[in-house]
Parts: sequence; structure tokens; C-alpha cells
Amino acid sequence: MTAVHQAPSAGPPPPGPPPGTAPVPRQPAAPVLPGRPATRSEPRTGAARLVPRTVASRVRALTVLVLVALAGLLAVTWAAVGDARDGVRVIGQDAGPQVVATGDLYTQLINMDARLADALLIGRTPNLGPKRDQALAAYDDSRRKAGKALLQASGLADDDTEERTARELLDAVARYERLAGQALLLDQQTPHTAGTPPEGVLKVYRQATDLMKLDLLPKAYNLTLDNGTLVRHTYENKQNAVSNGRLWVLLTGIILLALLGALQLFLAARFRRMFNPALALATVATLVLVGVSFTMLGGQADQLRKAKEDGFDSILALSRARAIGNSANADQTRFLLDPVRADTYEQVFLSKSQTILYVKADSLAQYSAAVQTPGKERDYLGFLGTESSRTSLPGQDRALGSVFTEYRAYQRDDSAMRALVAGGQRQQAITSRLARPDSSFGRYDVALSGLIGLHQKAFDDAIKKGDDGTAGWNIVIPAAGLVLVALVLAGVRPRLSEYR
Amino acid sequence: MTRNDVGKGGFAGGSGMRERKTRGRRIGAAVLAAASVLGATACGIAAAEEDSVADKEHLVIGVNKDQPGVGQRTPAGGYEGFDIDIAREVAKRLRVTGGNVTFKEVTSGTRQQMIKDGDVDLVVASYSITPDRKAEVTFAGPYYVAHQDVLVRGDSPIRNVRDLKDRNLCKVEGSVSYQRVTKEKGVAARLVPATGYADCLDKLTGRAVDAVSTDDLILAGLAAQAARRGGGQGGPPRIVNAPISDEGYGIGMRLGDADGCVAVNKAITGMYQDGTAQRLLHKWFAPVKLNYTTTVPQFEGCE
Repeated sequence: MTAVHQAPSAGPPPPGPPPGTAPVPRQPAAPVLPGRPATRSEPRTGAARLVPRTVASRVRALTVLVLVALAGLLAVTWAAVGDARDGVRVIGQDAGPQVVATGDLYTQLINMDARLADALLIGRTPNLGPKRDQALAAYDDSRRKAGKALLQASGLADDDTEERTARELLDAVARYERLAGQALLLDQQTPHTAGTPPEGVLKVYRQATDLMKLDLLPKAYNLTLDNGTLVRHTYENKQNAVSNGRLWVLLTGIILLALLGALQLFLAARFRRMFNPALALATVATLVLVGVSFTMLGGQADQLRKAKEDGFDSILALSRARAIGNSANADQTRFLLDPVRADTYEQVFLSKSQTILYVKADSLAQYSAAVQTPGKERDYLGFLGTESSRTSLPGQDRALGSVFTEYRAYQRDDSAMRALVAGGQRQQAITSRLARPDSSFGRYDVALSGLIGLHQKAFDDAIKKGDDGTAGWNIVIPAAGLVLVALVLAGVRPRLSEYR
Repeated sequence: MTRNDVGKGGFAGGSGMRERKTRGRRIGAAVLAAASVLGATACGIAAAEEDSVADKEHLVIGVNKDQPGVGQRTPAGGYEGFDIDIAREVAKRLRVTGGNVTFKEVTSGTRQQMIKDGDVDLVVASYSITPDRKAEVTFAGPYYVAHQDVLVRGDSPIRNVRDLKDRNLCKVEGSVSYQRVTKEKGVAARLVPATGYADCLDKLTGRAVDAVSTDDLILAGLAAQAARRGGGQGGPPRIVNAPISDEGYGIGMRLGDADGCVAVNKAITGMYQDGTAQRLLHKWFAPVKLNYTTTVPQFEGCE
């Protein structure tokens, strides 16, 4: 563009406006102004043809470039804000909460099986009748909740494999219900006091609990995993889109600023005015728009990350820990209920405990002893161990502390129960478990729910901030566009009118 | 493009004023910087995707060579067994077939490092998922949950793990299986050392030991081998079907390959939904009367 400096000379008026600008009526008498084009006698070739030859057409061309860059800036900002909004919506309002709800399916299914085991363990013990009724009422309640969660989970299924899993689950729940009904009926027909029910009842119960353990629970868990993957993919896509959009805003913003600067300087040089206030204002407004958009999008990416990492991930991991804890608790009941399979139930209890909080151990006794030492939780693996080494939220340490305290108490109670059984006092172990049903487990579960609640709050906060962050931007962007167009035209028009 | 070129090409160039040129350069440099950041981001994403086992055209799969019925080298130089069939089936569902699947021998000692070094893309080798291992390797699956059980001679009175008290139990050095019986269950069995499970089988049929305890899939393979050889003393060995543990067999891959893990899990789910897994279990374990599970296992999760 070195051709800008041309010797001023009188001559024919500038040629028509370059394409894309509003036609300006030609004046027969050309004003004596700098920037007149060279004569047409030497036709230019190549790229030089594209460079406008008159001052006015150059001003117009630069103005068009400015407006195109402005349109680009507004478009990329609009798209990035849209991505940020989508990300917050999917994680915060659609898939995220539904995934958490489907995690509930697993817990409710386990509760069904655990309450069935309770009812069978109680049998027709005269003074425990109300307890049996309670167990059965809780069973029905869990079944209703499981049905609701299953409906939500199947609604999220987004391919054939997942849909089929959801259908198979529905079918398996029906089969489980039939077996549970049979077991309860048989149990009522063959009265027994609290403790191991007769073999006929156990046989049907084993079918039911096998169906639950081998068929229903794995499918329910896998469905939750699939839904978690859906959220992860959405998050990664949107997070990338917002980060890239932010860089595009910066890039187009810099181009626009450069063009505005060029226009300003060109006008200053050609029209001998040092300063064009409207263009200066447009430059400042662009700076502000780019700065604010860039900051806002950074904030959005940050809120999205917080919602996902501090909220969603922890909620999902802790919900899984809770589900597996519930199933371990049911394995304690089964350990008492079914002496033939007691060995398996004990090993499974150990392996589930290790999934929740991993400490290397050869046996359950060794494990229970090892977890009693406080202060080493951060070195441990498993759901709780991993959770404790993550970035902490305010109040998280205290909540985690009480989860660990209650977990240790729960493991101590378990050891005491198993010691009773090993000492030949199975009946007493059953009685004391029924007398204080799930007490230490219940306290542990409450503490864990508290910790989940903390992450839920962080999740809700981040989603709210994300929502607020983009509020009004569908007005801000077009309004900023109009103001900038007005300023640019206001800056350029008086100069162009000098050619009229 | 050099910085100078950028300056000359800038919109404000050509004024002859020094400061303007400098500004042009600065802006040009900033534009370049922003563009290169965008480019780098795009490259980073592309590289991560190409690296996943979900998108590979060739797969190197690590397998065992010495577990009859599960993963065994054939005299012809190929591999056969339940794990091998599972590996082929998973590869097929990842759209990798025929000559694009290569098997490579791994042992319990080498498989983790081979995944880390990229020597193998997947490991399907009776690889139990444990919290320790999950810190080093990403596991899809489990594709099957095996159970530790006990193999005895056909005429043995042993019915569960507690009956092993004061009996001769085969001890394979480096295996944790016998410890499950003696330490975890606290059963006072007499340990008889052996070099491997094939040796254990010889000792069992030759009455040097009364029982072998490890994962039921491996025991089933040993029982099948003994039956082919004519059973030995006391009739063909049998599994007592008194499981004492859950061992989830996972498919190992590079740590952090979440997309690959999800794809393999989808393949496993599909195998159970269309009956392939049941057919393979039947093929390898029905002849030895193992009580195998025919429903999809609970996955570990990929994140």
C-alpha cells in the first residue's frame, strides 16, 4: 500500500465507488485535494488492480473493511456466547441433573433387595411384626422411586445399545418382582423366628438376589456410566468451543482495531486532521467490547469447568460410592441370612469396601484395622480417597472428615458383627443388627449425603453464575454493532462529503 | 513470514512514519500470535483423538500364552482361548479385523509396562481390575467376572474352601490365589509349591496335592485339559463351585483413553446383547460344567 503517496494533480474526478459501498454522486468539478489518482494511461496489472486509486474510494474501501471486520467480530462473539449458553444449559438443566437422578436407580434397586432380605430375616417373629411391615413399605417405596429413575434413564439413552439396556432393565425388574413375591409368600407359609429362613425360601431368595446382583445392578450402573459419558462429551465440546471462540473474538477484535487505526491514520494523513473523534470513540468502544467479551467468555469457561469438576464429577463419583456402600450394607445382611454363601458375601463386602476406600489388605480383618488410622486418607485410592485429594471447596475438609469418621465406625461395627458370627453367635449378631438396623451405616450415609450436598451447592452456584454471565448478551451484541456502525459512518461521512 | 513482512503488509503501512510501521508490526505480531494459539489448540485436540484405540486401524493386543481355555499359544503359532475370542470380537466391533489385529504375548509381570510404553494397544489377559492397577492403566469392562474357586479330583470329598483345612493345596509362586485361602479365609491348608498351574494339574492328578485354587475360568481350562488326557487318578478333576471372590477381568489400555474405554465398553455390552458373549462362554466352559454368568458385568467406568 505504498501507493498512498501520490502527487496531487488536477484531473478527472475519481472513478465510481468500489463494489459494496453506497454510490456517491459524482461531482463534475473535482475538488483540489490530495489523493487524486494517477492517469489511466498506464493500466495496472495483477494485485495492484485491487487497490483503489482515489482517496475517496480508499476511504470507502477501508470503511467497508472495517464494517466487514465488525460483522466478523459480532458473529464470533454471538457464536461463542451461544456455545457458553448451550454448555451451561446441557450440564446445568438437562443431562447433568438427569444423570444424578439415574444414579438414584442403582440405590433404589439395592434398597429393594436389602428390604426384601430384612423382611425374610425377620420372618414371623411375634414382636417384630411391625418391623416386617416397615421393611415391606420401604420396599414398595424404593420400587416406585426405581421406576421413576428408570424412566428418566431410558429418556437419556441416545443409541441402540443404551435403549436396549433400558428395555432389558424394565424386563428384569418385573422378573425380580415376581421372585420377591414368591419368596415372601413362601416365607409366610413356613413360619420361622428371626434368623435364617427355611431352605425353600432361601432358594427363591437366592434367585431373586442373583438376578439383582448379576443382571439388574450391573445394567443400571452401566446406564449411569453411559449418561455420564454423554455429559463429559458435551462438556468437552462446549468448553473447547468457548475457549476457541474467545480466541476468535480476540483475533477479529485485533483486526478490527487495526483497521480502525488504519482508517484514522489515513484520514489524518490525507485530510490533515490530526484526530477524528467519532473514529476514536469507535476504537475505544471496540476495545471495550472485545475486552468485556473476552473476560466474560473466560468467566463462562471457568464456571463451566467449576460446574463440571467441582460439582458434577464429585457428585457422580460420590453417588457411585453411595450406591456401592448401600450394596455392601446389603451384603452384610446376606452374610447373616445365607450361611452357605457367607464366604462369598464376606469377600464381596471387602472388595466393595475397597472400591469405596482402598487400602491394601489381605483380609477383611486387616482392612478394617488399616482404615482405622486417621490422617492417611489422602494417600488412599478408591472413590473417597480420590475425592479427598481433589481441589477443595470451602467446608469440604470438615465434611470429608466426618465421612471418614463415620466410615471407620461402620467398619468397626462390621468387625464386631463378624466376630460374633465367628464365635458361633450368629443368632445374637442377627438380633443386634435388627435391634439397631443400619445405625452406623445410616450415620455414614448421612455424612456422605452432606458431602454430596456441598458439591451440589458448588454445582448450582456455578450454573447460576454461568446463566447470569450471558444474560442480556443477545441485546448487547446487536446494540454494540449499531453503535459502532453509527460511529464509523459518522467519522467517515464528513470526509467523503468533501468530494461532493 | 517474518515480522518485517507482517509490518509491511499491515493496513497502516506505507505512511513513512516510523511509529506507524512499528504499530503495524506489533498488530501483525499479535494477530500471528493469536492465530498460532488457535492453530495449536486445534492440533492438540486432533492428536488426542488419533491416539485413542477407538480410532486405530491396527491393533496390537497383549494376551497370555499359558492358560488353557483362556489364552494359550497353539503349536501352529497362533493363539486360542476365551480371552483370544473376546479380543478378536472387541477388535471387530472397533472395525479392526483380519490381518490388522496382531497378538503379542504378555505376562502378569510385563503387561502394565507394555501398555505404558505403547508396545500393546489393548491387553486381554485375565487381567483383574484392582484400585492399584487403575491408577496406572485405564480399564474397559470387566467383560467377565471370574470367581476364585477350587479344583479337586473327581472322587474328592472337598465341598468348599473350609474343607481345605489340613489338605495339600497347590502353591504357585507369585500368585496371590493361595493366600486368599490361607490368609484371607484363614484356612490352615498345607502348601505344596509348584512352578505353574500346569504343574499343579499334574500334581493334582498324581495325588501330590488335593486341591488347586485360582480363578474358575483358569480352573475350567485345566479341568478340560485333564479330561482330554483321560482324567488321571480319581476320575476327571471337577470344580467345587464354591466361589470365594469376584475378579473382574478388564481390558487394559493407555491411562486416560476415555473414548477408547467407552468404545470397548459399548462393544462388550453389544456382545452380551446379541448373544456373542454367551456363545463364547458356552464354547469354552460348558464342556467342563462351569456355572458361568451370562449377563453383562458391572463396568468400572472410564473417567
